[in-house]
Amino acid sequence: MDMLSALAQGFAVAITPTNLALALFGCFAGTLIGALPGLGPVNGVAILIPLAFSLGLEPTSALIMLSCIYYGCMYGGRISSIMLNIPGDEPAIMTTLDGYPMARAGKASEALAISAVASFIGATFATIGLTLFAPLLAKAAIYFGPADYFALYVMAFATIGGITSVNPFKTLLAAFIGLMIATVGLDPATGTARYTAGSFHLYDGFDPIVAIVGLFAISEVLVYLERVHQGETKMVPLGRALPRFKDMMSGGWANLRGSVIGFVCGILPGAGASLGAFMSYIAEQRWSAKDGKFGQGDPRGIAAPEAGNNAASGGALIPMLTLGVPGSGTTAVMLALLISLNIQPGPLLFDRQPELVWGLIAALYLANVALLIMNIPMIGLFTRMLSMPQWVLMPFVVMVSFLGVYSISHSTFDLFVMVGFGVIGYILRMLGISLVPVILGLLLGADMENNLRRALSISNGDFQILVSSPIALTLYAITATMLGLAFLLAFRARRRNRAAAG
Amino acid sequence: MTDRIVGLFLLAISIWYGVTAGDYEASFGDPLGPAAFPVMLSVPAAILSLVMIIRPDEEPAWVTGKPLLLQVAAVSLLLAYAGFLEVLGFPLATFIAVALFGRILRSSWPKSIASAAIMSAFLFLTFDKLLGLPLPLLPEFVS
Repeated sequence: MDMLSALAQGFAVAITPTNLALALFGCFAGTLIGALPGLGPVNGVAILIPLAFSLGLEPTSALIMLSCIYYGCMYGGRISSIMLNIPGDEPAIMTTLDGYPMARAGKASEALAISAVASFIGATFATIGLTLFAPLLAKAAIYFGPADYFALYVMAFATIGGITSVNPFKTLLAAFIGLMIATVGLDPATGTARYTAGSFHLYDGFDPIVAIVGLFAISEVLVYLERVHQGETKMVPLGRALPRFKDMMSGGWANLRGSVIGFVCGILPGAGASLGAFMSYIAEQRWSAKDGKFGQGDPRGIAAPEAGNNAASGGALIPMLTLGVPGSGTTAVMLALLISLNIQPGPLLFDRQPELVWGLIAALYLANVALLIMNIPMIGLFTRMLSMPQWVLMPFVVMVSFLGVYSISHSTFDLFVMVGFGVIGYILRMLGISLVPVILGLLLGADMENNLRRALSISNGDFQILVSSPIALTLYAITATMLGLAFLLAFRARRRNRAAAG
Repeated sequence: MTDRIVGLFLLAISIWYGVTAGDYEASFGDPLGPAAFPVMLSVPAAILSLVMIIRPDEEPAWVTGKPLLLQVAAVSLLLAYAGFLEVLGFPLATFIAVALFGRILRSSWPKSIASAAIMSAFLFLTFDKLLGLPLPLLPEFVS
């Protein structure tokens, strides 16, 4: 009963005209960004974070807007996958496998409708899960001491990108790069200037948002320039304007199976939506592909990964809100926003700012309905956006990034930092080093160090406190298992590659 | 090979990072001090860089030729834009940047100039007037 009354209060927050308008705007802008080829949710949220600042929004409203953009991007990501065979981001790759063949067979609008329904089911499932589990986890998290938080951060770094990453060594290295960047600036406890090279600009350290916009948005432009000479990709015709209801539901139970798998993947810190989509597709293939139609436009092959990645993105909000440890790249970016707004996510958030948490959850329910409406009858509008020329789109993305960063600090120094991070981001991407751990390190570095220091002040400098609580020990055990698994899988893949090559 | 070079670079950074941290003096009352955490980071970072040197992945497909030139041009353009934004004022700097960017993205002069004019006006009005984010309007030498 407690939960229902809290949720009712949440709806009261979400339904205020400002928040409702921001939610709708977020859904629309998110779908649009997600639909554009090459721009995924991380980019979408990163580019629009500065907008939340320049609008001078309340924390609750800002979070509602960005979460709706996030959900919208996850919906929109499927549009370019199906129509152009270009996934906007990693999780959308699985949707191309059956979505594009189906669209080529003249059933593009059916494929889009099936995936919209699947997205709705997955995201709603995850939002219900968020409503039920987040408060429970928040209650448990109150017992976390500084040493346990330190262990939790270690786990987040060790597992992010974890099982899906190609080279686990590089993923770990990426986390250390992020942590090292995070220590630049004045040390919060003693006021010592670290790694500032005497420059006053660096006394506050690197602003995570500036780094994020550079790493994702600017590097995306450089990636795009690689293939600018290859010419435009041809779009599949849409087909019927409004698909039949029966066709929309042809994903059937695959929707629910995908949602469950995706949600579980989403909750794991660091696993996120890519794993959710991947596991859902593989599981669905095992479960129902007896006739071997998967990969040729099977509706279940569209429904399962779409439900999976949307459920995972909702699930990823749980560790972000309750523990302050994001479960995916995009939630890491949203964490950056919360920290910039001086809100410390974690168990106390549910006690101290219930209107923020429950307002957000209620807004997500509303956003799902709005997105379903936007994505079935209004789909033609978004597909038309795909034919927008890149020479308009790319400069626009860049200019909005510049404006956003400039609006935070009014310093050209930050603009140079942003471009610098863009080049670094491009090089790291080329080397197969994931950017998400870098961001996570940059975001959580200060907190990780603070918790370590707090733990050691409690024990008077005795390092044993780090491994003396059962919670910390459990977390280290999970970390070790996940790391072991990641390395095992990576070695096996490497050996298989070698066997295939020679 | 790239992995080895980058690994070597990161190894050097990690060692420099750890050694520099040693200079930060521990203050009174804090058992850990400002040096300990960076030192704790530098050791595993150095080890992981070594792994990258010893066991490099396959060579990434670096771009060459024209796309590389375009990338260099784009980065130079962005740096120049960052530098000239306050000097030239937002509308003019943005107009030039978008027009040149359009050219880098292989559009024609008339199209690039048209989109640059529309975009700089649109962004200036939206951000400066509508969202109330003050942007430099005129070049420094005029105002």
